[in-house]
Amino acid sequence: MRLNIAVVMLLCCLPITVLAQSARQEKTIDLPSGVSVEVSSVSPAGNLIAAICSDHVVRVWSAGSGDLVRSLQENSGLPGGLQFSNDGQLLAVSFETVKYEKGMIKVFDVASWKVQTDLTSECMFCAIRFSPDRRRLANAGNFFGDSYVWDLATQKKVATISPPFGGSSALSFSSDGKLIATADGDGFVRIYNANTGTLRGTPTEFLLEPFAVAFSPDGKSVLAGGADKVISVIDPENGKISRTIPKQAGLILSFDISRDGKLTAVVYQSSQSMLDANHIMLWDLDREAVLADFQKSGITITGGAFVGNHYVFAAASGNQLTLWAIP
Amino acid sequence: MLTRRDVLQKCVTLGSAVIASHFSPEAMLAAFQDREKQVRKPTPPNVLGPFYKRLTPMKSVLREPGDPGMPLTIFGQVFNTRGDIVPGTTIEIWQTNHQGYYDLDGYRYRGKLQVDKSAAYTFESVIPGHYPDKSRPCQHVHYVVAAPGHKTLVTELYFATDPVFEGDPQKNYARDPVIQTPELIRPVMLTGEPNEMHAKVQFELRLERL
Repeated sequence: MRLNIAVVMLLCCLPITVLAQSARQEKTIDLPSGVSVEVSSVSPAGNLIAAICSDHVVRVWSAGSGDLVRSLQENSGLPGGLQFSNDGQLLAVSFETVKYEKGMIKVFDVASWKVQTDLTSECMFCAIRFSPDRRRLANAGNFFGDSYVWDLATQKKVATISPPFGGSSALSFSSDGKLIATADGDGFVRIYNANTGTLRGTPTEFLLEPFAVAFSPDGKSVLAGGADKVISVIDPENGKISRTIPKQAGLILSFDISRDGKLTAVVYQSSQSMLDANHIMLWDLDREAVLADFQKSGITITGGAFVGNHYVFAAASGNQLTLWAIP
Repeated sequence: MLTRRDVLQKCVTLGSAVIASHFSPEAMLAAFQDREKQVRKPTPPNVLGPFYKRLTPMKSVLREPGDPGMPLTIFGQVFNTRGDIVPGTTIEIWQTNHQGYYDLDGYRYRGKLQVDKSAAYTFESVIPGHYPDKSRPCQHVHYVVAAPGHKTLVTELYFATDPVFEGDPQKNYARDPVIQTPELIRPVMLTGEPNEMHAKVQFELRLERL
């Protein structure tokens, strides 16, 4: 009896993370010899994966078969970032045309792979995000530059966002497209009016550089995290941090939020090595519980997306790209 | 574009008309424009990150007694692109320790100061280490330089003695893809006895006016 009570007590005291699941391997894609994947984006339907490869070619594969669907060799400069629109119909790819100084974004129609829109600016483009209705596109001008919100129909800048220094490394539109949040190199998360670029709120609790930011699908909160290793939940109305998700050992490199807003998949990077982005955790945001926890040495997680009830992510290792799913 | 009259007026103002008088007006104009170009060139910007930390304390001595690593003194003056000193400048620097690790929990090897009346500054630190993961090849010190009426400068200081440059920074500066110009790679003066070497680096900063 005493043993049973002890076992029950032990089970109750075990952290939820012990019950967390690992990831399952879905598909492995072989790249040409000597070529590796640097950044990737999984389409929202989970059927395509697009990647910037070390030979500066953007390749698109079928996630189901692993077959190469398209190679996008645009001669537009060095590709730096890419993103599918929420409906999966468009793929935006940013290129650096003059090192640190000039950039270009090409928006491809996924059905025809024709360039639908060309955006050029005095800025090196890095992170790019479509608005939920895919009528607008925002880019973060990493390192030095401003960030911009573009109207895709007119190909004109709608708003210019200028952090005091250091640029932005990530950005996210609210679900109604009216607000935009940025993770800035000067240690701030900022929330702006996406139509005017007017600053609306800035939490002052951050000390270290945030690397990731995302609006929840209902628009009621903004998640942010980075070098401080904590996911902070911010109220966009007042710009205050309402709560934090438990701190982990690694730096927060990126995250995605599920469509119902209940889950977030977080990619952690070792604070000892900036090359080791090989740890991913799936969090239940309400319970602050870990549902899946996967870490594997020798891989670099390059991108992912929520597909149905799963999070599908791509991890590079040598000249292979492997798709994994959690839970 | 400067006119000949402008050049002559400036030469008189600067007291150089007598020295320059045996040159042709064209040569004087070219020499003056060349000099102006040099004076006006701001310090090249460089990347901010990683790991800038807000609310860095005001301190210029980042090295604590007994800290491992070669002691380093970084000093210089802040000018604007006209060549005037900028006394109201705040300089913030951060770097790794001698093993190549940043302090994310505290403020070790992070400091901020206000320049003195002559716009001069000095930081006491150690030579930063190389990143152990080799994600960037060169030793460096990060700078954020802010002054009223001037564009905030984000840049980095590199060391000519860094083995990555193999003694020739002019030729090998691009081995770190982040370095766009060898101008940011500064000579290192080594002083002291062989077992107590101390490095000194001069890094003048030139700010663009708003």
